[in-house]
Amino acid sequence: RRLASFQRLRAAVHYTAGCLCQGVAEEKGVQFSKQTIAAISEITFRQCGTDGCFLIICRHAKRSTVTSEDVKLLARRSSSLLKYITQKSEELASSNMEQKEKK
Amino acid sequence: ILSRGRRSSPKQIHCHENWSLSPEEFEIWDRLYRLKESDGAKEPILPQIQFETLENLEETSKPEEEAAHKLSLSEWRIWQNRPFPTSIVDHSDRCYHFISVMEMIELMRHEQGDCSYELELRPHLHIEDVNVQRNKSHLSVTNST
Repeated sequence: RRLASFQRLRAAVHYTAGCLCQGVAEEKGVQFSKQTIAAISEITFRQCGTDGCFLIICRHAKRSTVTSEDVKLLARRSSSLLKYITQKSEELASSNMEQKEKK
Repeated sequence: ILSRGRRSSPKQIHCHENWSLSPEEFEIWDRLYRLKESDGAKEPILPQIQFETLENLEETSKPEEEAAHKLSLSEWRIWQNRPFPTSIVDHSDRCYHFISVMEMIELMRHEQGDCSYELELRPHLHIEDVNVQRNKSHLSVTNST
């Protein structure tokens, strides 16, 4: 059962990775082999596993819910990535506010 | 070739409490470890982070990098589909994931056309798990301001 649900997640990640690679391929005028997409997809899948450190960060801050601050901490090593994630987080927060105001 | 033993006597350890090297330590460093032009070896440097899809805020590379030996993390990739020996620090989960993917790549290396990974996963795909409107939205992921 557990393996089957892992394979289901893997398949979804693989499909999505294929779509994203397709986008990059069109933009850069290159082609990705199926094997390359498979490898990227498996790396992505496993990367999500190592991001289980989310929970550790969370516990570190004595919380049980992962927040956007925890996500930002994942990007702390690179200022480019941190800036990007922080921007996205602010955009998301402000659009959430707008939606609440409409209600 | 000079012997590069690093042991220092307890006496020397006591004589410096600063963050910097004492004159004796400096002399040892200068004589045994410091890279000089006469060594014929380039200064080792680590590659810098570069994001292909983001604006790069990291320091731009220094021009003298050309004269340095950039340490490569991919030159010995064919060695990396098995765990390397450890001393006192065990391999991390992240490291084992890396090794597994290197092994997976090794197994797929000689595949032509159809991909075994894809064939294995295709029956498990549930279309409700994925974003079917992808064709319009996927590009926004790679375009950044």
